[in-house]
Amino acid sequence: MKKRYSLTYLIGESFKSLWRNGVMSLASVTVLMSCLIVIGGFVLIIFNINANVKNLGLMNEMVAFVDYKLTDEEIESIKTQINELDDVVEVIHVTKDEALEGLKENAGEFGDAYAELEGDENPLPDTFHVKYDDPSQASTIKYQLDHIEGIYKVNNRMQVAKTIDSIKNSISLVGIWFLGILLLVSIFVIVNTIKLAVFARRSEIEIMRYIGASGWFITLPFIFEGIIIGLLSSGVAYLIVWLIYRYIETNGMSGIDMITILPFSEINTVVLAGFVIIGVLTGIIGSCASLRKYLKA
Amino acid sequence: MIDFKNVKKVYSNGVVALGGVDFHVDDGEFVFIVGHSGAGKSTLMKLLLREEIVTSGQVFVNNHDLTKMRNYKVPRYRRELGVVFQDFRLLPNKTVYENVAFAMRAVGTPAKKIRKRVPAILSTVNLYDKFDCFPSELSGGEKQRVALARALANNPKIIIADEPTGNIDPHMSMEIMNLLMKINRLDKTVIVVTHDQKLVDYFQKRVITLSDGKVVDDHVGGMFE
Ligand SMILES: Nc1ncnc2c1ncn2[C@@H]1O[C@H](COP(=O)(O)OP(=O)(O)OP(=O)(O)O)[C@@H](O)[C@H]1O
Ligand SMILES: [Mg+2]
Repeated sequence: MKKRYSLTYLIGESFKSLWRNGVMSLASVTVLMSCLIVIGGFVLIIFNINANVKNLGLMNEMVAFVDYKLTDEEIESIKTQINELDDVVEVIHVTKDEALEGLKENAGEFGDAYAELEGDENPLPDTFHVKYDDPSQASTIKYQLDHIEGIYKVNNRMQVAKTIDSIKNSISLVGIWFLGILLLVSIFVIVNTIKLAVFARRSEIEIMRYIGASGWFITLPFIFEGIIIGLLSSGVAYLIVWLIYRYIETNGMSGIDMITILPFSEINTVVLAGFVIIGVLTGIIGSCASLRKYLKA
Repeated sequence: MIDFKNVKKVYSNGVVALGGVDFHVDDGEFVFIVGHSGAGKSTLMKLLLREEIVTSGQVFVNNHDLTKMRNYKVPRYRRELGVVFQDFRLLPNKTVYENVAFAMRAVGTPAKKIRKRVPAILSTVNLYDKFDCFPSELSGGEKQRVALARALANNPKIIIADEPTGNIDPHMSMEIMNLLMKINRLDKTVIVVTHDQKLVDYFQKRVITLSDGKVVDDHVGGMFE
């Protein structure tokens, strides 16, 4: 027995109902949209922190300073020893001359001030930038580096990364709480919107039940209504987030060179997909919660 | 085929609406169900519709055991019945045509078939010329004819009507009853709950009399014969 319920009819009923319930529909969309914007904000902040941490090489990298006046052979042997450590994936040798060059470059027009320090006057040590793949091994690696002859100091950038990580965790935690609360509020508002919609059509529903309409035929328009609320909310939320983000991208942080802001084009798919999924799911959950009675029989 | 076997219905508030009812209705029969207010007539209808479930006993309709029927099967079962209520229960914002078409659409009938069948049914209940009217533009008798058309829309084997003439003046009541007779001649079983003694006496059909949740009389003919 093939069912031939006309989908256009059912969706048409949903739009009619949304329209009839104007104020409540608007409230649902507004609340869900706000929820999505806040979630989006938190997620984007986390994304950007991650990107910056990566950019600054704070993750999975430490710097080993070697003693002054080592011979080239000694430095070469240190490099081999570091390379042989477990979990080390890359060792970059930065000579003191290169380090000075870097300083000069950063100083820009004042770079000449470093000119006197060139050659034998160079007070900088040679360094090794040690990259590793497993952050949990950081302290072991540091310990091993500290015990290599000729290394006098290991600068573990893990500490900075850890601080940033804990900031990130706090932001995530707050974000998750916001998410939970706002989602609950959204579901609550949607449940009431759909309940009103059901109430407005109760006589129709009663007749449908006597006629023998299936549970799906009765409930689908309301479920579609929830989906439409979800889609509208996620669409508008995406637009607003995009506008705000573009504003920050172009004007907001230009003063601080250290911080890079991810281009929106790199994250828009994730944001949009996330919004649509959360929005639609919330809509469906909201309408199903108010339709339990009819979904059963 | 309808079969009630020692049916008891006790509502959750303790009221015994039916206290052991037995009767059998063959396909194509016409049956009046009468009884004083509170005798259990509407309860009996609700059991037939599987809106309520028996407390004990068994109800069989068209070989379905309603006492054992699973919830998800109820919608499909109800398509075998056509229901008419005292208060018509039409959709006020739909025309006569749409009210009937709605019943067919609700069970997944293809649009083409709906367009063909609705005019035919409206002709059966002599209402074809009013197909574009809204319920508010119709008399009580006409509204009930729309309800009858809707009950017939999905071609059920059984028509059940709970006081179909309760809100209609006597002249129109006669017309509704005649229509029900006509439907019965189309080989459908018709069960009519009524208070209208004159109608029952006039049509000389089978009458089941309920009193305090029991069948106290079951015979063919007028109410008091
Ligand atoms: N949903 C319910 N819950 C509790 N008691 C009910 C319910 N429906 C009916 N009753 C009780 O069951 C008894 C039978 O009711 P029913 O509606 O079947 O009577 P009826 O014969 O249709 O009466 P009427 O002629 O007034 O329509 C009554 O005492 C009524 O109060
Ligand atoms: Mg009654």
